[in-house]
Amino acid sequence: MTESTLFTIAFIFYVAALLVDFASLFARREKWARTGLALAAAGLVFHTAALILRTVVSRHAPFTNMYESLSFLSWAVVVALIVFGRKTKVPKLGPYLMLIVVGLVALASSPLMPKGATPLVPALQSYWLWLHVSVTLLGEAFFAVAFVSSLLYLAADTEEKKEKLDSLSYRAVAVGFPLFTLGGLIFGMVWAYRAWGSYWTWDPKEVWSLITWFVFALYLHTRVVMGWKGKRSAIVAILGFLAALFTYFGVNYLLAGLHSYA
Amino acid sequence: MKSAWKFFGSVKLAIVLFILITLASILGTLIPQGRSAAEYAARYGGSSGLFVSLQLTRLYQSFWYLALLLLFALNTVVCTVSRFGPKWRRAFGPSVEANSQTLMTMKVKNRFRLALPIAAAKDRIAGLLRSRHYRLTESAAANGVVLLARKRRLGRFGSDVVHLGLLVILIGGFTSGLGGHRADVPLLEGQTADIPHAAFQVRLDKFETEYYPRGEVKDWKSTVTVLENGTPVLTQVVMVNHPLTYRGFSFFQTSYGWDWDNPRLELEVRKRADAAFSKTVALKVGERAPVDDADVSHVVVRQFVPDFVMGEGNKVQSRSQEPNNPAAMVEAWKGEERVFSGWIFAKYPDFGQGHTAGQSALAFVLKNYSAAQYSVLEAAKDPGVNFIWLGCVLVTAGFFLAFYWPPREIRVVLEEVQGKIEVTAGGQAAKSRETFQSEFDQIFDSARRPA
Ligand code: HEM
Repeated sequence: MTESTLFTIAFIFYVAALLVDFASLFARREKWARTGLALAAAGLVFHTAALILRTVVSRHAPFTNMYESLSFLSWAVVVALIVFGRKTKVPKLGPYLMLIVVGLVALASSPLMPKGATPLVPALQSYWLWLHVSVTLLGEAFFAVAFVSSLLYLAADTEEKKEKLDSLSYRAVAVGFPLFTLGGLIFGMVWAYRAWGSYWTWDPKEVWSLITWFVFALYLHTRVVMGWKGKRSAIVAILGFLAALFTYFGVNYLLAGLHSYA
Repeated sequence: MKSAWKFFGSVKLAIVLFILITLASILGTLIPQGRSAAEYAARYGGSSGLFVSLQLTRLYQSFWYLALLLLFALNTVVCTVSRFGPKWRRAFGPSVEANSQTLMTMKVKNRFRLALPIAAAKDRIAGLLRSRHYRLTESAAANGVVLLARKRRLGRFGSDVVHLGLLVILIGGFTSGLGGHRADVPLLEGQTADIPHAAFQVRLDKFETEYYPRGEVKDWKSTVTVLENGTPVLTQVVMVNHPLTYRGFSFFQTSYGWDWDNPRLELEVRKRADAAFSKTVALKVGERAPVDDADVSHVVVRQFVPDFVMGEGNKVQSRSQEPNNPAAMVEAWKGEERVFSGWIFAKYPDFGQGHTAGQSALAFVLKNYSAAQYSVLEAAKDPGVNFIWLGCVLVTAGFFLAFYWPPREIRVVLEEVQGKIEVTAGGQAAKSRETFQSEFDQIFDSARRPA
C-alpha cells in the first residue's frame, strides 16, 4: 500500500468516527461514543503506518512541509483524544475534537498543499528537527484539547458539566505546556544553535512561540496562585491555543522569517 | 523596604509582566525589525521618527524591553525566595502541626478505633505507609503519637526549579548579549585566518558542495584545521548542523562562494583565415598573455563574470555566483595596435565574435574558467550558551516535578480513648486527588481490617 492510500483510509475512519460521535451526541447514545473512539483509533493505526512509510521512503522525518506537518499535527490530536477521551466523561470532547482532526486532514489533503517529499536542505538535516517539531506539535495537540474543553465550558449549562470541563482543560494544559516548552522552546533553541549558530534570534516564529508560552504561563499562574477558575481560565486557554495556531499558520503566511520552510 | 519586597515578589506583578511582555512581543512581530531608516520612512511616513526614538525598530534590544525582562527576573527571584522557607519546612521539617480536630476538617480523612496496644497499632499503620513508599517522622502527642508520612517531597519544589531555570536562562541571555562576539570569517581554500578575539587561527583545507542525485544541494562541507602558533592541532569537517567547537569558540557553516574576481582562465586564439592555427594561453584578469604571433602579439582579459547579464544602462553584471553564463571581455593586441575587443561566452562560442568585434580576423574560445571556492564560517564566542543549556535542563526537570511528581502527605494521630486506640488520619495532595483518595482509603481500610 502506498502512503497516500493509507492516509486516505485513515481519513475515512476519522470521518466515520466524526459521524458516529455526533450521532451519539444527538441521539444521546453514550455507547456509540465508544464506537467513535474505536474508529478514531483504527484511523490512527493507518495514519501511523502512513507516517512511518513516508519516513522510510523519504529517509527523513515527516515534518518538512506543510502537508507533512499538518498530517502529524492531526495524528497528534487523535493521540491526545485517545489519552483523554477514554477517561473523561465529557461526551462532547470526541465530536468536536474529531471535527478539528478532520479539518486538519482535509486541509492536508487539499490541492493547496504540495505533497511531494523534497530532499532536505542542509539546515533541516538534524535529529533535533525530529524532536523539535514532533514534541511541539504533540504539545499543541493537547492545547487543542484544552481549547475544545474551554469552548465547551463557555457553552455548558450545568455546574457539574462546567466542573468537569474546567478540570479537563487544566489537565490538558498540564500535559501540553511541558511538551510545548520542551519541544517548541528548548529543542528549538538547540536546533537553531547548531544550524545557525545562535539559539535565539527574535525571529517572528520564535517570538510567537514565546507569546504562546507566556499565555499558558499566565493560565497556570492565575489558576494555581490566584485561584482563577472557570470562565476567566477558559478564555486564557482559548487565547493560548489561538496564539499557538497563529505561530503555526499565521507566521508562515503573514510574517516573514527564518522558519519559512516549515 | 518591606513593601518593596512585597511588591517585587507579588504574583500580581508577575501577571502584569506576563501581559506586558506578551503585548510588546506581538508589537515587535508587526513592525519589521532592524531595517534601514529609509525603509521605515517609506512604510510609516511621518511617524517613523517616533518609532525609531521609542526603539520600536529594535524592540527586543530596546532599553524598555530589556527592563521588562529584568523586572521579570527580579520578580521571579523575590517571589520564589520569599515562599521558599515555609515550603522547605513543610517538606523536610521534623514536625507538622497535627491534632485530631484539624485532621477531621480535611477533605481526605478517616477515623476508627483499634483494639490493640498503641505500639502495635502504630507499627501496623507505619508498615502500611512504608510499603507505599512514604517516609515517616514520629512525634509524641498529649496522649499518644503523631505520624507524619510524606512522599515525593521534591515535587513541592517543581515550580522553584522551573523559576531557577528561567533565571539561569535569562542570565545566559544577558551574558550572550554582553559578553559574546561573532564574526564572519571568509576563507579561500588553503587560506589561514586569525580569529578575532582568539589566540588561534583557522585554515580552510577544502570546501565541497554535495548534491542530491537530482541536483538539489545536500550539504556544504568545509574541512577546517585549527592552528596554534602555526602548528595544526585539530582537523574537522564543518557542516550546517555540525559546528566545530574549540576553546569556547564555535564555527558554523554560514555561506560559500567562488572568488570570481580572481579567476583562472584559458583562452584559445584562432584565425578565421587559417584553420590550422590554434594557440591556448592561460591567464588572469588584467594580465598580458603573450601569443607571439605575427598577427597577435598578446591578449588581455579585462573583465570576467560567471553569469553574464546586461543590467541597467547596458552595464555588464553577474546575475549570480553560479557559472551559468561565463563571459570574458577580451582584447587582442598587435604591438601597440588593438586588433580585437569584445565579449566572448564560454557557452555560446559563436556569439559575439563578429558582433562587437566587427569583421575581426581573430576568433576566441573561452576554454576553461575556474575560481577558488571560499567558505564563510561564523566564529562565535557565546559565553551564555552553557547557562542556557543548564537553564533548559532545570526547566525540564522542574516541569517534571511540578506536574508529574505530586507530593503527598498523610498525618495520623493515635490516641488512647476508652481503652482503645483511636486513629485519626488526614491526607493532602496538591494534584491527582482521586488517585490519592483511593490510595488513602486502601491504606486505612487495611489498617482497620487486616486481611
Ligand atoms: C514564564 C515564566 C514562568 C514559568 C514558565 C513558570 C512556571 C511555573 C510552574 C510550572 C509552576 C508550577 C505550577 C503547578 O504546580 O501547577 C509555577 C508556580 C508558581 N509560580 Fe511560576 N513560572 C513563571 C514565572 C513566574 C513568576 C515571574 C513568578 C513571580 C511572582 C512566579 C510565581 C509562581 C508561584 C508563586 C507559583 C506557585 C506554586 C508554588 O509556590 O509552588 N512564576 N510556575
